[in-house]
Amino acid sequence: MEGFFSTYGSAIVQMALAGVLALSLYLPLMAGQLSLASPGFYAVGGYVAALLSTQVFTGFPNGSYPILLVVLEMVVAGAISALFALIIGIPSLRLRGIYLALATIAFVEVLRVFALNQPWLGGAVGIYNIPQPFFSATRVEYLLLALPLLIGAMLFVARLERSRIGRAFVALREDELAASAMGVRPTYYKVLAFTMGAVLAGMAGALNAHILNTWNARQGTFDLAILILAYVLVGGSRTFLGPVIGGAFLVALPEIILREVAGAPGLNPAIATFLRDGRLILFGVLIAVSVFFFPYGLITPNLFKRRKKTKALPVEAAKATPKVSRGEL
Amino acid sequence: MKLVDQSSQQYRRLWWFASRGFAAVAIVLLITAILTAPSGLQNLFNGLAIGGVYAIFALGYTLIFSILRIINFAHGAIFTLGAYFTYFLTGAAVGFNGLLANQRLPFELPFPVAMIGGGLLAGLCGILIERVAFRPLRNKGADPLLTLVSSLGVAVAIVNIIQLLVGAEIYSYPRNPFGEMPAALNLGTFGGLTQRPIIIRTIQVIIFAVSMVTVVLLTYFINGTKTGKALRAVAEDATTSSLLGINTNFLILVTFFISGLVGGIAGTLVGLSVNVSGPYFGINFGLKGLAVIVLGGLGDIPGAVVGGLVIGVAEAFVPSEYVAYKEAIAFVVLFLVLLLRPQGLLGRAAVQKV
Repeated sequence: MEGFFSTYGSAIVQMALAGVLALSLYLPLMAGQLSLASPGFYAVGGYVAALLSTQVFTGFPNGSYPILLVVLEMVVAGAISALFALIIGIPSLRLRGIYLALATIAFVEVLRVFALNQPWLGGAVGIYNIPQPFFSATRVEYLLLALPLLIGAMLFVARLERSRIGRAFVALREDELAASAMGVRPTYYKVLAFTMGAVLAGMAGALNAHILNTWNARQGTFDLAILILAYVLVGGSRTFLGPVIGGAFLVALPEIILREVAGAPGLNPAIATFLRDGRLILFGVLIAVSVFFFPYGLITPNLFKRRKKTKALPVEAAKATPKVSRGEL
Repeated sequence: MKLVDQSSQQYRRLWWFASRGFAAVAIVLLITAILTAPSGLQNLFNGLAIGGVYAIFALGYTLIFSILRIINFAHGAIFTLGAYFTYFLTGAAVGFNGLLANQRLPFELPFPVAMIGGGLLAGLCGILIERVAFRPLRNKGADPLLTLVSSLGVAVAIVNIIQLLVGAEIYSYPRNPFGEMPAALNLGTFGGLTQRPIIIRTIQVIIFAVSMVTVVLLTYFINGTKTGKALRAVAEDATTSSLLGINTNFLILVTFFISGLVGGIAGTLVGLSVNVSGPYFGINFGLKGLAVIVLGGLGDIPGAVVGGLVIGVAEAFVPSEYVAYKEAIAFVVLFLVLLLRPQGLLGRAAVQKV
């Protein structure tokens, strides 16, 4: 167990954070808005935590940084991300489909270039020596913070899906015009979904700034946006479990290929080398293939329902249903 | 049918004149500003050179978008591939990293031939991408969003295949690829119009010329040939044109080939101007291409050319003390265009259909 955590400790924490980030993209998607702005808010959150812990809450040596202050930073980061989301969201959520996706990519890129060139954000080097609340090389203790964040986000989204607001989101996704005719205010709910997602991304960023010990403009980029989108779509975009499982799966996969499959005894060295150096090739192919074979993602709402139905159905009834071949139709 | 009352029609006509008048005044002011700025003409020429490349690169995006209504996110990877293909076709050796270290092709092609060859190979890769990432999903009738993701998956795979095979180092094209030529042209001061003489690198002239020739050939292909006409028909309505006997799937393949071809040539041209800076060469360029096609109007072919030139020139006019923010220009433009004029510079507002 000790060895397992020393190898996979940081990967497990990153799996939890990937789940939170995936939920941050899933929330606007629930309301039918494809927003790729999550890395932007993630970057904002990270910078907020980095600035607060290195400039404001100083005087704690490494390893004794109070956990409560990390939580406070996460709250502040969430609030500031929400503010950014309102400023960006209100004008840009008039856009639909691919146009909104492009506008949010633009936001992420402008933010990145801005951060890269601000001396008070550390420029290209970024902010480093962010104090750690734990003495640890494996970073596995961060699960104490990451797991509650993930579970909290999951509970929140799960409750949201069954609430009036969540149903308004889904109504907007299915048909915006019909929803607005039924009294759902499109702009209000879209901005709400966007802002909720931004808060989650900001909090994940704030936590990850401590985990990584350093924060710079490379943390919130277009690549990450694509990765998060892959988490959501590979996992499934119709239920909150999908993004979480997709995120965990896609973060774990390269690690497992690297450490377990490529390191397996008796494996042809050429294949082992390919698996080690070419695992991102497999990753790309896997994304393309999974979209083809699982168009609704790995986890769909019907996954659980269908199983119940087949159990309830008596075998005789299933046999008795007339089979219609194509020729007869 | 909708009844239009007199007053709203008058209002619309007034708005038409006002907006055109405003645009005309803005353009005149802009031209005056360019001509009177300290190094205005110099910046203009620099901007046009890179803008031409933006234009042909964006044409690759826009061709596919006009037919499939999907952004091909693998286009940046195609751009990278084109640059690498050209490099190897000139007979240069692979670097020290990667599986193919120190290998080289048994023949050496002159640079212009290698550039076209690189473009053609990139076009073939475009066809491959359509077969593996686009057609299977299209046949299933999948959500366009899923196709977008599968094209991203292919892009990730291509970039990492390049890295595995030839390593992540910087590749430079041979010097003087077009034979012995002066490094730069001195255009003089245009009779005292500018304070300093205008100097243009020969490479810039070549880049601009090649991209404009590509634009002209492509325009001829789309507007002057039968295949081009069929292509426009498919862009207008794929179902109807297939009912009328047009082989839609074949034309989509043609589109991907041409898109890859111009993308590969754009990659080579940028590689000429700077260097081929590793497998991620095309990523930033790919993002900028998105800004260009939005500025021109998604799926609008003349728009992509104008958009490319405008963004190239806009970047060239960034003052040297703010040069670090140059990368953000395209995205600021993208954001503003989306908010103010989502149909693009040349486009018309789309009517929202229910």
